[in-house]
Amino acid sequence: MNRSDAPMPPALVSPLQRLRAASNRLTTRSASPTLLAGLAGLVALFLVVPLVYIFLRAVGADGEAWQRLLQARLWKLLGNTLLLMLAVTGGALVTGASMAWLTERSDLPGRKYFRWMFALPLAIPAYIGGIVHLALLRPRGGMLPRLLENLLGQPVYTPSPLGFWGAAFILILFTFPYVYLLSGAAFRSQHASLEEAARMLGYRPLRTFFSVTLPAMRPGLLAGALLVALDILAEYGTVALLRYETFSSAIFVQLSGRYDRSAAAVLSGVLVGLAVIILWAELRSQGQARFTQMESSWRPAPTIRLGKWRIPALLVAAGVTFTSLLVPVGVLATWSIQAVLDPDTLRSVLHSGSMGFSNFAWNSLWTSFLAALLAITLSVPVALFSVRHPSRISRFIARVCQVGYAIPGVVIALSLVLLVNRTLPFLYATPFIVVIAYVLRHMPQAVRASEAALNQVSPTLEEAARVSGRTPVQALLQVTFPLILPGLLAGGALVFLTSLKELPATLLLRPAGFDTLAVRVWMWANDGFYVQAAPAALFLVLISAVPLSFLLRREQIFK
Amino acid sequence: MSLPRLASLLFILVLLLTACTPASPATPEAPTAALPEPTAAPTEVAATETVDPSISGKLVIYSGRSEPLIQPVIDAFKTEYPEVEVLLKAGSNSEIANALIEEQANTQADLFITTELFTVQSLSQQGIFQPYRPAAADQLPAEFVDPNNNWIGLTLRARVIMYNTDLVAPEDLPTSIFDLTDPKWKGKIAAAGSTNGSMQAQIAAMRQLLGEEETEAWLQGLLDNDVTFFGGHTDVRKAVGTGEFALGLVNHYYYHLQLDEGSKVGVIYPDQGDGQLGLITNATAVAVVKGAQNVSAAQAFVDFLVSEQGQKIFAEQNYEYPLLPGVPLHEGVQPLESFRLADVNIAEAALDSDATFDLMEKLELP
Repeated sequence: MNRSDAPMPPALVSPLQRLRAASNRLTTRSASPTLLAGLAGLVALFLVVPLVYIFLRAVGADGEAWQRLLQARLWKLLGNTLLLMLAVTGGALVTGASMAWLTERSDLPGRKYFRWMFALPLAIPAYIGGIVHLALLRPRGGMLPRLLENLLGQPVYTPSPLGFWGAAFILILFTFPYVYLLSGAAFRSQHASLEEAARMLGYRPLRTFFSVTLPAMRPGLLAGALLVALDILAEYGTVALLRYETFSSAIFVQLSGRYDRSAAAVLSGVLVGLAVIILWAELRSQGQARFTQMESSWRPAPTIRLGKWRIPALLVAAGVTFTSLLVPVGVLATWSIQAVLDPDTLRSVLHSGSMGFSNFAWNSLWTSFLAALLAITLSVPVALFSVRHPSRISRFIARVCQVGYAIPGVVIALSLVLLVNRTLPFLYATPFIVVIAYVLRHMPQAVRASEAALNQVSPTLEEAARVSGRTPVQALLQVTFPLILPGLLAGGALVFLTSLKELPATLLLRPAGFDTLAVRVWMWANDGFYVQAAPAALFLVLISAVPLSFLLRREQIFK
Repeated sequence: MSLPRLASLLFILVLLLTACTPASPATPEAPTAALPEPTAAPTEVAATETVDPSISGKLVIYSGRSEPLIQPVIDAFKTEYPEVEVLLKAGSNSEIANALIEEQANTQADLFITTELFTVQSLSQQGIFQPYRPAAADQLPAEFVDPNNNWIGLTLRARVIMYNTDLVAPEDLPTSIFDLTDPKWKGKIAAAGSTNGSMQAQIAAMRQLLGEEETEAWLQGLLDNDVTFFGGHTDVRKAVGTGEFALGLVNHYYYHLQLDEGSKVGVIYPDQGDGQLGLITNATAVAVVKGAQNVSAAQAFVDFLVSEQGQKIFAEQNYEYPLLPGVPLHEGVQPLESFRLADVNIAEAALDSDATFDLMEKLELP
């Protein structure tokens, strides 16, 4: 099963890999990696401490807490969480892959625009989408059922956005872009020759699709599915809002219940265990994804004509865009206008909590920015060590740095509250603890981006600099660094984007008087003040769109 | 990647950052004509203390009361004490209580404001607070001032049933909270869930008055009746106001807040008959946290909350029952004296708070 066991067909080994292998032989001899190893090790240690701590708390919780949970809640929560995870992952796979096929392989009208439309929902935090759809669709009370009732004179059944189906629906809408982007890239990079061969063997188009096209995309789809699965485990806002209990929301309830943290620690321990399993699978699939890398003989696969399916396909694509992008943004914009026009609401928007709108918008920006800066800085030694000095140890450290994916925000927060308050009390209840949470949670994205950037730079360039008399540090700063900077910035943009949207850790860790846009939106919406929440939500979506569009332009399908 | 594009992105970011820099703190709340010294007021009562100009700095308030209900009184306090910067963290009572316990060795909060007395009572037993007795404490009913002065009551609220007048005919109205388990209301009731302090307090009170079994039967009856449990009461009142639900179990002022929005809603003060439970009420309270960084500002804030001015804000803006005698109720609020109240021993019920959580957990109350 291990990919190093299976000999790779020579034709599929990319030139890049060959280059990398060659360069590795060169560099392992050259610089002494002790300092780098030490730095990378420190970063890994920093990332892993909260995880280990919460695990120890869970294991060390008294037997009574375990027993109480095992009897009543644990199995139900496990079932709920896994069910939602499977449903959303499946739904996101089907939606994402089919939309990717439509824009990348078919002659769907307007596919150039749809590409953007299918990716932009990533700027909308799922809980904000949930707030909008809840206000629209709530049974009896929602805008849509009431409109229908007024038009038709009698109550009409409309699907409820609450509970399992509602949560699954909303989460599919706002996670399918992950799958869309990954499978879009896979469709793009597919060899025309693969399908041609199948067709020459007499396969019908449908059979070609299922037996050749789809299997070739397996790595991309798998990577997307696992990302979605990790996201669902960590999701708090949406499930809490739509009243479907999973581990994350149950931990929250425990924290606002009895005066006892052991139950929350136990639930966190189980949740982290679950996430680690998925992360392990995800890390394995990362390695396999390289099978899709392009070769020089690559030709794009031909566009498939939709024919009489053009209109139905267009309607489906428009429907997806409508529910995942146009409705949320449209409703938020309408509410925002209402909020601005009503003096009372406007006053409470501009001056709420301890501070005003500008204050919490500023908080969102600077904490996310600082988190991005820190994450990228910390990721560089890890990436340098793992890319330039591959070894069992460096690979291990790089893997450990992926651990943030497996620690949902609520668990990071719980761990930091307990840990920092006891060991670093001066940091507790400052905005910096929020920044630390963002770094811990989003570090994997930075590490991956930095590794990818470094992989693109041939170490022979550094070698050349060394030969012409530069020290290793000079070579790094003068040659490598300028070349990897765009990649680092992309990693930073990703951390910035995800930190902006972060809710549960911020909710639990923020000091008094310190609100972010996400927290504000959540507090207002939780109290039922949707119109007040709208301007902050819209602003959050708009500023998220800035780093997102920068990131998307780097994606293959937008080139 | 094209560097110009990167540069432009950075530029946009910088622009955003600078555009959002908080308005310089040098302009605090237009000094409102430097309010006349309250001592100059011609009243003979020395209820309103002199504003001490030396009181300044940050005042950190942890509130179990939701922000819209506490914000007006904070705003009024800030006009009296412009030098004090109030920092608010609002959440559910028990969430905040957990934070206070966690922070005992590293105190962050100066003040704790709660929606019910069980939490302050329980925390006070754990030594989380420091005593303070404002001058006005003598005027409050004795049962709402902690004998050790660890906490002081602010307002009273009644647990009532609000209803949508379009959906419920007068002859069908429930008269008791036990009517809510009647199958004829199946799927038509909204209430707040297990994380809500007022709901927790109601269950704790019922456990004391009726015992575990009857309380459990009532809760099970609500669950069997498909009651929808929301995170907070604002959702409940809005849902009843729009006709999504016929009945809502709320604190009385939520009915008034919804009526204010023009909804067709009515209110029932339940369980007034002979042999019935009586109206369940609970008090909001405030306590100064032990180890508070800014004790003088915290005490000034407590003084303000129990002053006539502070109590008036609770009565007028929130429709609550002020505890300070002589402060008039908001027009339309039915005086508590006209009802028979359930007699709950707060100190005793607070000792039992774990049993309340156990019960909610056992029944899986959402």
